Amino acid sequence: MTLAPARTDTVTTIASRIRDRAAATPHGVAMREKHHGIWRQYSWSDYWDQALTVAHGLLALGVEPGDRVAVHADNRPEWLFTDVATVAVRAMTVGLYPTNPASEVGYLLSHSGAKVLVAEDQEQVDKALEVIGTCPDLERVIYLEPRGIRHRYDHPALLAWDDLLALGREHRAAHADAVADLMAAATPDDIATLIYTSGTTGPPKGAMLSVANVDFAVRTISRGRGFAGSPPGPGDLSVSYLPLCHVAERIFTIWFNAGAGIQVNFAESIATVQANLREVQPTILFGVPRIWEKMLATVQIKLANASPVKRLNARLWLRVADRIGATLVRTGGVHTTGTRLAYAVGWLFFYRALRERVGIGRVRFAASGAAPIAPDVLRFFMGIGVPMYEVYGMTESSAIATGNRPRRVRLGTVGEPEDDVELRLDPTTGEIELRHAGVFVGYFNDPAATARAKSGDGWLRTGDVGEWDGPDHLRITDRAKDIMITSGGKNIAPSEIENALKASPYVKEAILVGDRRPFLAALIGIEWDTVGEWAQRRGIGYTTYRDLSDKDEVRALVQSVVDDVNRRHAPVEQVREFRMLPKELDHEDGELTATQKVRRSAVADLFGDLVDDIYTARVSA
Amino acid sequence: MTVATKAPRGRPLLFTSYPSEMSLFPTTTRKVAFGLLLAVTAILPFMLADAELQLLATCCIAAIGAIGLGLVTGYAGQVSLGHAFFLGIGAYTASVISGDPDGRTVGLGVTNILVWLPAAGLVAGLFGVIVAPLATRLRGLYLAIVTLGLVFIGQHIFNEWSSVTGGVGVGRPAPTLEIFGYSLFTTTASVTRDQKLFWLMAALLLVFALAARNLARSRVGRAFTAIRDRDIAAGVIGVNLARYKTIAFAVSSFYAGCAGALLFTVTGYIEPTSFSLLLSVQYIAMVLIGGAGTISGAIAGAFFITLLPRIIRELQAFLPFISTDANEVPNVLQVESILYGVLIIVFLIFEPRGLFGLWVRARNYWKSWPFSY
Repeated sequence: MTLAPARTDTVTTIASRIRDRAAATPHGVAMREKHHGIWRQYSWSDYWDQALTVAHGLLALGVEPGDRVAVHADNRPEWLFTDVATVAVRAMTVGLYPTNPASEVGYLLSHSGAKVLVAEDQEQVDKALEVIGTCPDLERVIYLEPRGIRHRYDHPALLAWDDLLALGREHRAAHADAVADLMAAATPDDIATLIYTSGTTGPPKGAMLSVANVDFAVRTISRGRGFAGSPPGPGDLSVSYLPLCHVAERIFTIWFNAGAGIQVNFAESIATVQANLREVQPTILFGVPRIWEKMLATVQIKLANASPVKRLNARLWLRVADRIGATLVRTGGVHTTGTRLAYAVGWLFFYRALRERVGIGRVRFAASGAAPIAPDVLRFFMGIGVPMYEVYGMTESSAIATGNRPRRVRLGTVGEPEDDVELRLDPTTGEIELRHAGVFVGYFNDPAATARAKSGDGWLRTGDVGEWDGPDHLRITDRAKDIMITSGGKNIAPSEIENALKASPYVKEAILVGDRRPFLAALIGIEWDTVGEWAQRRGIGYTTYRDLSDKDEVRALVQSVVDDVNRRHAPVEQVREFRMLPKELDHEDGELTATQKVRRSAVADLFGDLVDDIYTARVSA
Repeated sequence: MTVATKAPRGRPLLFTSYPSEMSLFPTTTRKVAFGLLLAVTAILPFMLADAELQLLATCCIAAIGAIGLGLVTGYAGQVSLGHAFFLGIGAYTASVISGDPDGRTVGLGVTNILVWLPAAGLVAGLFGVIVAPLATRLRGLYLAIVTLGLVFIGQHIFNEWSSVTGGVGVGRPAPTLEIFGYSLFTTTASVTRDQKLFWLMAALLLVFALAARNLARSRVGRAFTAIRDRDIAAGVIGVNLARYKTIAFAVSSFYAGCAGALLFTVTGYIEPTSFSLLLSVQYIAMVLIGGAGTISGAIAGAFFITLLPRIIRELQAFLPFISTDANEVPNVLQVESILYGVLIIVFLIFEPRGLFGLWVRARNYWKSWPFSY
């Protein structure tokens, strides 16, 4: 295998980082992918060899610096090969959510002007072919899984992955230095990737992250300020399962891997994450709040269904964990002699087994981000011994802003600004503003939106309202546009109350309404699995989601959750009334974004009658 | 493409290759446990009396036979009641080969165990191959009944062919335990006969058990399981039914032949009526009580059934209403046969996976801790 000749790069890109790792530790494990029950391992030299071949393949297809290469696939090695190859040839990677419906695929492909699309399988190829007429720039659709496509589809744009590799090998033999030359010519201002923000309002916008932005992010995370003990390194394992087109998973899969050399393990799918976590036992784990909430709900349900002795044991040690968690919250994550002792005994009887069974037995850095999370959930994980940190960042800041740090955790805050990050609050609105080397270049083909988000002197307006908690810690109140004002004139941040509701294992979605209304109300969606289990244990028969939601017993269950949350809030912040959502919210129906965040406007439209019903019923009563 | 680097440490569920997933001892704990077991076996003869060692040696031999039946019945799902027949073939083949040429019964005078033991297995295995076509034509109950016929045919031949078997009530001497002229059956200054006997049988059991385990986790073993679970489905996915059923019977009979050859060396005498239906049923009981479809289960079952008379005799001390006198009711022998039947019924109803199932249940309880599933 010929590695690119060493030459003086002007700038470090993820491609050059992978190349250097392949030269330094060619046989170290870079990633694993589960295939027919076996975790196939890829070494760093495999990784770089494949990426280099793909890069040559892209050149053979006529990709030039500045072109866009789109990837529409679940997390898998080919995603990384394509991303690294694209950066190597100075083009931009555009990620599409696997759940994106055809219409959104069409919008993203035409807006980004992608020249090449890497589509995973027949499903994604079908979406692309449906909209290819509206995407004049799209020249090639490369498919990874030939099943159902090969010998059946004869669209001229289609090309199999293996054929791309063959093209790449040919090109590599003919022009051995082509990619290396491009890598040497890379500049910090090259755009490495376009990351489309999911857009809870309006169509998605493509944030341009430059090579310099990405490098800042990679260097920041590799320093490992958030890690107790040694910084992240080749001995660490992560599980990659959230969509790679989101900046958070990009950081935890590709950038952590390139920057610190951690081993990435690809989950088979989002549905098998629990099993894959148990097998891999990662040391680094990132989850959005929904994942942690779901994990907590699973634990609670499984413990409730355990045999009496086990249940007793669990109840005892969960109570102890609660105390440990509370102490840790008070001390900022520093153990006292008491908690250490209690944990050591509990470790023997409960915590070790519990953590291993859930797949977080070896986690030394767990992070929650991308959306606000209920402190109760964090406290639970801290109590059972998982070093859990809430972090804050966004696409436009290359995911770098603030994070909690070992021994300085403050629950309910998103922590302290990272190194070299300037952070200030707008004195009038309280909006958080950021300035650092990772702040994005701008929105692709949208100067107006760029001007709204970024001031001339480099300050990024995040759109989040926050306040300082103590000298260093930042607390996020809510998204600026989500702040509600009741007709009584009170400002209310819905996410805090919503998260308190969602901390219950029975509640999946909680959407607060009450803007310009006399009181607060909520639309509540139940968690199908846990409420279903709950109903079964009580012998309540049900058929569909809607049927289960409409049961009086289930309403009473949710009422008890609401009452419990209300007790912890001031009267104006209490949820007086709620309605059950008749269906599970879904990305394809437009109620959720691709990142599973609720699109408030869509929900307000779709379930407007429910909301109206709440207020008319109350008024007439 | 893939690198042959080892899987990361401390992650027993993460397999990077199929061999590691199927390995004999997938975890360090298993390795350690196995090592401990070996160590205990090695020092046991210094701690037990000769009579007990003799009993344990018999257990080891019975276990070899039970493993053989476990392969054909437990793994490949072909119920065979003809195990006694194959045990008999082995016993007589071995004793004919090692027998005294000038004795009352036929003998060739080759006393080396390395000759007569494999020969006994091979001859029995050959009979297995001859019988196997029955299994490819018959299933379930019909196969059981036809193999039952084997026992009766065998019984008749063994009773009548007195130049080989010595005849009913007389019998003939068992094969001689000798290896290149060194007798394994005499007490010397440093080791007693029974110590040698136990070590020899334990070592043989180890060899046979490991061989069976390896067979079970190979392509052949997977074919057996596929046939057991649904032979039509197995045939559809490409398992050659005739071939694998033949292999199952051949291997099983080989084990039975070896076990038969060894079984009577402990007592020294073979009586032709021993190879009755009762013996077959005993082996079926070992497999069922131990746990069908597992090697360790077959071993556990063999030990349990062989030790049962002894256990009952010990029990008698605590239960004085059971008499040791054969003329009184209830006496030890009666309790033994009743318990025997009761155990089979109880296990089949309450724990069809046998003694091994009890172990699995206990293990799963702790494995699933702190949940229940």
